[in-house]
Amino acid sequence: MLGSLCSCFCRLFNRMINLDVEKTTKIKANGNLIRYLILIFWALFWLFNVLDKFVGGAHYLFVGKDRFAQIQRYFDSIGLGNPMVTNFTLTFTAALEAFALVCFLGALYHLIRKNLESNRVWFFLGISTTLTVYIFFSIGDQIFGDHSELLEHALFWFIALLSWIIFNRNNQFHIFDNFSISKKPILLFTLFAIIIGSVTCFSIFRHNQIAFKERTQAVHAKRISANKYKIEFPFLAGSSAFESTIAKFKEQHTDLRINFIYTAPKPMRLGQSDGLIIYLQTEEK
Amino acid sequence: MIKEKVAIKYLILIYWTFFFLTGVIDKIVPDVYPFWVGADFYTLFIKLFASLEIKNPIYATITLAGVSLIEVMTFVCYLFALCGLFFKNESSSDQWFNRGVSLSILLFSFFTMGDQVFGDRFTLLEHSIFWIILVVSWVLFNHNSLLGEQSFELRFTGEVKIGLILWAAIVLIISYFNFGFSKNTFANKFKPVHGEEVVEGIYKFDFPFLADKRTLENTISSFENKHPELEINYLYTGPNELNTKKKTHMLLYVFTEEKPTEVN
Repeated sequence: MLGSLCSCFCRLFNRMINLDVEKTTKIKANGNLIRYLILIFWALFWLFNVLDKFVGGAHYLFVGKDRFAQIQRYFDSIGLGNPMVTNFTLTFTAALEAFALVCFLGALYHLIRKNLESNRVWFFLGISTTLTVYIFFSIGDQIFGDHSELLEHALFWFIALLSWIIFNRNNQFHIFDNFSISKKPILLFTLFAIIIGSVTCFSIFRHNQIAFKERTQAVHAKRISANKYKIEFPFLAGSSAFESTIAKFKEQHTDLRINFIYTAPKPMRLGQSDGLIIYLQTEEK
Repeated sequence: MIKEKVAIKYLILIYWTFFFLTGVIDKIVPDVYPFWVGADFYTLFIKLFASLEIKNPIYATITLAGVSLIEVMTFVCYLFALCGLFFKNESSSDQWFNRGVSLSILLFSFFTMGDQVFGDRFTLLEHSIFWIILVVSWVLFNHNSLLGEQSFELRFTGEVKIGLILWAAIVLIISYFNFGFSKNTFANKFKPVHGEEVVEGIYKFDFPFLADKRTLENTISSFENKHPELEINYLYTGPNELNTKKKTHMLLYVFTEEKPTEVN
């Protein structure tokens, strides 16, 4: 049964990526797999960027990035606070991104239709637009003085350039050419995947059962000197945990007033093993 | 007819020309001005040298000037390469690009040495990434001709028209949503944020992404007007660990207590 499932999976995979599957489940891939993967990546990348522009702000099931707020703050920092400047910039950016999306969708369509010449042209247009978008972003990053964004955009520019060369010269890489899967390795693979997967899932679900309450649960405040208390929050703790901790502290110490909260800075924490640590300074009411 | 390899050369050259042009402008404009914020390299260099116990500003200034000079030379090389390509003088363009890229790689190698000396590992990573991008740009600029003389022609075929219509439709829809979103949310920039009493005497303010120092000032002043009976005795900024990942911009807790009643 497992064997037939595997061969079914191989046939399905073959349909998706245009592989030749022999009866012995021997797979011979042609160079299009890497092209499909590159095109799917860029089409989805721009699709979600365009969606992010539609949605705007955080919503149920979609947080995204508030681009309007981000760009408005950038322009405000250089003295162009009028929201119309932001709107036009955002629309111009979205137009370039949508153009790249349409090009990659066109390239994907032609690859499915095996029209390789048109596929190459549409892909090239998509990559050129992507490179142009990142050139435009990088100039903005320098003007607004945001060097971490500059690094991020430079990396995307680089990834687009590399995608183009790999897409065009994939036949010379021999990455997915001629590999075979026989039944024995598939069975072994499935066995290992099931055993290790079960252990992992058991551990994750168990941790969820034990730890999820930490998200909101009040934390105990430890007295460290006459008027100072230390509170060590678990990693899961959010604003509700902070609020319930303060409420519990006030309830337990009705005679005290919190007059200062000191957040332990990162260098004072033990590597990555400490979460948020705060110190409460109090005085008698 | 557009040749792919020439188009890629243009895109590589435009990227590096603007990269170094804006880098040079950033050195010429050292502070925050209208239309330009940039990064304050002078302060950065002064602090880095101070960490080496070299407190005399002349050393940081000389180093910054030296780095800027190399950046200017690099920019000029890329600019000449771009002009060479534009005026169809490909060999001159290649030569200038090779000079520019060699200087840039040298510059980033120099930066990485500095990062190690100053112990700045994140910047070391950043400069190493730019270094490898330069190396790969160089290889692709010189060897993309191995792909052959592939070129393409833009013709208004049926599928191109469908693509353009789809693109125009997406742009129109996005513009409509963008302008609507801006109209609905721009007021948040100045509007005071509503506080919620989460614990007796403690109010939580969840600031929107557009909020800045002006929103904070308006919020505090509005809170004081709404609650004349309360005295703010402490403000606490919720650290990032308390935020819901990317959804929260800033959390502020205001600790208050009843004002003592005046006895006549």
